[in-house]
Parts: sequence; C-alpha cells; structure tokens
Amino acid sequence: MEELELLPVRTRILTDKDNIVDMIVKYAQENVGPDDVVSVAESVVAITQGRITRPEDLKICFLARILCRFVPQKGSLSSVYGMQSAMDAEGQLRILFAMMIGMVAKVFGKNGVFYELAGPQAALVDDVTGTMPPFDKCLVYGPHEPKQVAEEIKRRLGCFGAAVADVNDLKRAAVLGVSEGLDPKKLARILIDNPFGNASQRTPIVIIKNYGKVEQRSEGKA
Amino acid sequence: MEFLMSIVVLCVLVSIGVWLFIARQGDAEFEFMVKDRTPFILEELTETTATFSCKVPFMNKGTQDGTIMDAYPRHLLPYEQFDGVEVTSRMELMTAPRTDNYFEAVIIPYGTGGAVAITVIFTAKKGSIQAALDEMCELTVDMAIDIVYQIVARTPWYIHKTRMMMTCTEIMDAMQTKSAAN
Repeated sequence: MEELELLPVRTRILTDKDNIVDMIVKYAQENVGPDDVVSVAESVVAITQGRITRPEDLKICFLARILCRFVPQKGSLSSVYGMQSAMDAEGQLRILFAMMIGMVAKVFGKNGVFYELAGPQAALVDDVTGTMPPFDKCLVYGPHEPKQVAEEIKRRLGCFGAAVADVNDLKRAAVLGVSEGLDPKKLARILIDNPFGNASQRTPIVIIKNYGKVEQRSEGKA
Repeated sequence: MEFLMSIVVLCVLVSIGVWLFIARQGDAEFEFMVKDRTPFILEELTETTATFSCKVPFMNKGTQDGTIMDAYPRHLLPYEQFDGVEVTSRMELMTAPRTDNYFEAVIIPYGTGGAVAITVIFTAKKGSIQAALDEMCELTVDMAIDIVYQIVARTPWYIHKTRMMMTCTEIMDAMQTKSAAN
C-alpha cells in the first residue's frame, strides 16, 4: 500500500532569468507520477518572477522609518526596508491603517490583526538574509498569482496537483496557491517540517509522492 | 476652537510619545574590535606567495538586532609606498567559512557577536616572496587594512570602516614562527 513520501529535488540556483515551470519540468519531471503533487517554494517562484529588490534601490519614506519600530524584531517588517517594501506593495495608507487597528486589537489581546489587514505582501515579504546567496542581500516579495503557477505546473507535468508553499523551520507552513481540487490546509500540514530545507533555493521543489492514491483511499474510508 | 486645540495637543503628545519610544528602543550598533584581534599567522608559503590570516572579533553592542549585509577588507598598499608585491585580501565569517570573498548577509542579535577571519595574500612581483617581504620590512612598510561593513537595522543602511594595521614586524614574526615550527 502506497504511503505519502516527500522527495526534495535539487536544482541549480534559480534566478529571474528562469521560468519556474520550465525548471520544474527540467529537474523534476522524471520523478513525477500521475498521483504526485509537486510543491515549490514561494520565495523561489518570486525570484524567478523578478520580484526582488535591493535595499539600496528603495526610497524610504518617513512613515516606514516610524512604523518599522513597532514591529517585533524577528519580523521582516521590523527593518525599515521590509516596511518600505510592504508599503510599496500594499500602499502606505493601508499599512498605516492596519498598524493602528492592529495596535488597538493587541491592547485587547487579539494578535495578528495587522497582518490580516495589511494585505498579503506584508506577511510574505522576506527581508535581507531571508534567502541564500546571491539573493541574501535582497528583499523578496511574495510570488505573483501563485494559483496560476500551480495550475501551469500541473498542466505541464500531468501530475495530480501542484502547490506554491511558504514553509520555514519555525514550523510555519502556508500554501499560497494550489491547483484545482487540492486542500491547501492539508498540504500545509504535510509540508510543516519544511522538506525544502533551510536553504530552500537548493531544493526548491518537493514532490509529494502518492498523494492522489492516499487521498482516494482516505475518501474511500470516509 | 477648543476641539482644534485638543487635536493639536493630542498630536503633539503622540509625537513626543513615539519619539521617546524610538529613542528608548535604540538600534543595532556594531563594532569590529581590531584591538582584540589575533596576530597574523603565516598559513601558506610558496616561492612567490605568502598567505597570512588573523581573526577579528565583532559585536552588536546596540539594543536591537542588526544585519551585516556585506563586509570586506580593503588593503591599502600603494606602489608609492612599496612596489614589490601584489596584495589580495578576503574576509569570511568564522561560522560560515568560504573562499570566494562573498560575505553572506547575517543577522546578529543584540548583545551577541562573532569573529571574522581576514586572509591576506602577498604575491611577489619579481623573484621570491621571501626577498620581497624582507625588503618590505627593511623599508618598515606597514599596511593598513580597512574592515568595511554595511549594516542595516531599524535605520537605513550605512557603511562603516574600522582600520587595523598589518605591520612589517608582524609579518616577519609570522614568517619566523612558521620557519621555527618547521
């Protein structure tokens, strides 16, 4: 009886000159079967989409200098460049509004309101050091249209499904986009141990083997 | 009118509050402690090259985490001062050794630090490196090395330099220590 198996796929360092789907076909196709789900690290998808910027290229506004001070140190928005890049992506006023409401909510014991209101990029932007060389000196935004990327991967590889996932070593996993029919929460649970590894640019693809068969079996039992 | 005054007073109070919060919060503050560095040691000697290295501790003495985005040694040996050798240098984190002279950006939590290894390679322009370094010592040529580092933290990025000296006496001491060990 087939069980789920996670198979990381090593690639060369991918850059904005690469097409992520072409690269997955090139490096992973031979190991992908019709019952497998192909997942890819969101930061690498973003890099291949050119969604990176250097701190030196950002123009810092007064508001970014102030608001970054109110973000705990471990967060990407705690640096003035992380905050500025979130503002550039989501708008200054939206971030300001989210921050003010988030602070009030925190006073009343509700955490996470800022990220709920500030827009997806506020949670997805990676500050410098967030990725491995040569992108360690860059900020990386979240990927553009991850669902479409997942659909395209599925179409090209003929696999059971595909997903774009944001996973880290702190046991946090979020699936940003999936092909039709997949449950992102279920995939997040499968990927929670970060099979991409700490330096996900080296193994940016993880094949979830036998997903379709295991899914069918569990549906049959249900 | 009273309402407007209340708004103005409230804005002023909030501004003062934010300013006090930021002032109290502080920022990262890095120091490369060149006074505490190890002496240069001779790592490798060939007919034409001599490779020296030393370790320099650094610390984030500030109150916030900070990132060393880039760091590199800038050796300063103009030909007007000494024209017998070509110099190359590189710097790497002791915890992440590499030989490509690429400094991987690293977050240093406040109150902590680490050390970098600085490697200096002298290549003789003519003849043997031993003769070239002997001549350098005869001329009492000391070479300045600036540790150049780019920091980003709560405030926008900045570049600092800390200077250390690689003295000719130190070079000779390292050469003699190595030959005595052999």
